[in-house]
Amino acid sequence: MLKGHSADQCEIELRAAALGYPGKLVFDALDLSIRPGRLTALCGPNGCGKSTALRAMRAMLPTQAGSVLLRDTPLSQIPAKALAREIAMLTQSPTAPDEMSVEQLVSLGRYAHRRAFAPDARADREAVAVALAQTNLTELAHRAIGTLSGGQLQRVWIAMVLAQAAPVILLDEPTNHLDIAHALEVLSLVQRLGAQEGKTVVVVLHDLNLAARFADDIVFFRAGQVAGCGPVEAVFHQELIEDVFGIECIVRREEASGRPFCVPLAACPARRDRLVQD
Amino acid sequence: MTAASFAQRAHPVRSRIPARVAILVACATVLCALALASVALGSSGMSLQRVLSAILGTGERSDTIIIWSLRMPRLAMAGLSGLALALAGFALQRATRNPLASPSVLGIVDGAALGVVVFLFLFSNDANALTVSIQWQPLAAVLGALGFAGLVILLAARTGAPPLRVILYGVALGALAKAGVTLFIVDGPVHRASQAAMWLAGSVYQARWADVQVLAIVLGVLVPLVFLLARRMDQLQLDELSAQATGLPVRATQLMLFALAATLTAAAVSFAGAIGFVGLVAPHAARLMLGGRAGVQALGAALIGAAIVIAADLAVRVLFAPLEVPAGAVTAVIGAPYFLFILIRAGRVHA
Repeated sequence: MLKGHSADQCEIELRAAALGYPGKLVFDALDLSIRPGRLTALCGPNGCGKSTALRAMRAMLPTQAGSVLLRDTPLSQIPAKALAREIAMLTQSPTAPDEMSVEQLVSLGRYAHRRAFAPDARADREAVAVALAQTNLTELAHRAIGTLSGGQLQRVWIAMVLAQAAPVILLDEPTNHLDIAHALEVLSLVQRLGAQEGKTVVVVLHDLNLAARFADDIVFFRAGQVAGCGPVEAVFHQELIEDVFGIECIVRREEASGRPFCVPLAACPARRDRLVQD
Repeated sequence: MTAASFAQRAHPVRSRIPARVAILVACATVLCALALASVALGSSGMSLQRVLSAILGTGERSDTIIIWSLRMPRLAMAGLSGLALALAGFALQRATRNPLASPSVLGIVDGAALGVVVFLFLFSNDANALTVSIQWQPLAAVLGALGFAGLVILLAARTGAPPLRVILYGVALGALAKAGVTLFIVDGPVHRASQAAMWLAGSVYQARWADVQVLAIVLGVLVPLVFLLARRMDQLQLDELSAQATGLPVRATQLMLFALAATLTAAAVSFAGAIGFVGLVAPHAARLMLGGRAGVQALGAALIGAAIVIAADLAVRVLFAPLEVPAGAVTAVIGAPYFLFILIRAGRVHA
């Protein structure tokens, strides 16, 4: 029912979008395009609007002006269930009852695909089973989620999002509260599955080096503005990072993967102020 | 592995369903046993054989009269009001994601109480007697209940408030209604106070078939709605943002559940009075025994709720005869400690 990709290849587009919460406008006119089939990381300091922008892409907060489009259709015109079939989202700190089983939780991702009173369809059960297998959870399917470790639990939530079978996946800080090994595991899982199935993935990430390691594109936000946006190669530069975060740092390249990484050296608020005044 | 073999792996969950069925059947059996006992026991006890032949119409005339015009309507009223309160509590607990939510916190019960005392105030004459039939009392309770439920829902809908705030609205309005009840009772004749006190404690002993019919018709409309919302209630086990992300219209669903709970509560308390704690205990016990699937839990809660009120009414008849102690007194005696138990348990989990 939604149009296919337009010529300029843009999956989600924000056009002069004014976004925020009652009494606090975060963006007064945000322009941003998310390219299809790529993993885009949203980065920036605390309070820069990364999560706000992500929520706007899932129509979770009202657009006070401008528009948010999914393949040229305004989100506001897409009914709730249809939108859920197009865009899945993992929120920042999702919760569910401890005694719920892994499989039950993952099957909640199928809500938008079910008809009102029909029992679980075969297609639903298969989608759940596939999502469990993809996230390596098949053995844990009947465990209560309250008994899982943090890393396992995060995989369960990702499985729920995968079961939603949407071409676009939004993840709000999926590596929060995870140690580095589990963070790497979760992001490589997301990267691999996204690439395999040609999904468009947008991830809010706090850790710059994880973003540089896994993303195709990076968007840097700074105080309600886009400070830089494009392929990792094009934007992951010392100058920009120093300005966005108000730090001094060194950017180097890791030999094996060819990916850049950043070594922060010191806080330097003056640089940040300079960018805001520009 | 193919998708089909994955689907087979998922199969074991299905095999646990018979356990749930067994528990549901056990609940239903207990309910039937209680119902039979409730018909057999009373100021004059009867053997099971006499009860059965009276029900089938082959018994003695006096037995038939006692059972069909006294005990059966009372039994039906107890069962139906318990069922309605249990489902109301269930819907509220789902809407708020809070196992401590119950019909009495929404201000609806207090609203009904206010309706009752206002009715007793308006239609009493100088001789301390009612000027209209007492049969109008449920109508007054319904009006009071729906009036306050309407206020709470209106506030919730207008402000789009999160569930916890809605409950606080309910508590505040309930306090207002309670103050009104106290004023009317203190400032009125004695018969009004005792009549109101009877209602406030929750009792089914005056049940008549006409009331049972009305309640049954109302529940015939409302109860299917609870089950129609089962899948949505399953989604509501997620936090609000996640539920919304899966495609559920969260606020609209919560509002529907509030409205459903309010009308179920109004229907039940209008006839049976403020029978407490059933709406809290029944859904909670159902969850412990049957797990979190909304449809199954609702069914269990309904059976348990009906059983609790029937058992409470039976207990007051057997233990306190010939006094007519309100059934609500017994549900409170059992329910309040259970409430404490849940609180202490929940406190330990969150600590």
